[in-house]
Amino acid sequence: MKESIFKRVFTGIIVVFICMMLLYGMDLGHEDKSDSPLTEFYVENYEETGAINLVEAILFDYRGYDTFGELLVLYIAITGVIILGKEIIKPKEQDGGGEES
Amino acid sequence: MRSIIVRTFGRALTPFILIYGIYLMLFGPVSPGGGFQGGVVLASGVILVLVTHGRKKVKKLTDHVESFDTIGTFIILIFGIVGILIGGSFFVNLTPYRMSSLVFLDIIVGIKVFAGVVVLAVFFFEQGVESC
Repeated sequence: MKESIFKRVFTGIIVVFICMMLLYGMDLGHEDKSDSPLTEFYVENYEETGAINLVEAILFDYRGYDTFGELLVLYIAITGVIILGKEIIKPKEQDGGGEES
Repeated sequence: MRSIIVRTFGRALTPFILIYGIYLMLFGPVSPGGGFQGGVVLASGVILVLVTHGRKKVKKLTDHVESFDTIGTFIILIFGIVGILIGGSFFVNLTPYRMSSLVFLDIIVGIKVFAGVVVLAVFFFEQGVESC
């Protein structure tokens, strides 16, 4: 019983902590950062990248390395899942096929 | 065996999902959407077929889709390096026409994400089917 009570209290503390973090992130007591010089530069000069859409210009030109990193993260995750999963699956198939177990 | 209601709805909804995914991919540079979202929507169409009609219907596609992931990643990497060599920065626009390279990159990214998500889904469904 003591363990479960401790777990509940611990979970409650974590939930309250996460809620506080989220509320802190939700612009409480922060100043508006939407008019920084970089934003103005993007809005004025995004046509030099050859894009029509501002979002696409940032995604594929100004933040190209970020986009490529995202793709690489997805690729590495899928490769890891396939490699680990095939090691899990293969022994089963070999047991069913060849060995006498 | 799945019921006829499930199979009919899967067959009826899949073309619209696939068309919407292709639309998101092709019109990424001018409208909300893009490669990532289009690829995931396309993959959801294939996953719907996989769920409603079973593994054999999509076997031809999923056997070859694994390599698309690697090929797409390498094409994007080579494109970025060519951009560095020619234009001086990563992912630079290579042709004089506006958003020509963006459409190309969106399509490649969409195919890559589509292949990755389909491979993941097929992998997990295979494991689930074994236990059924």
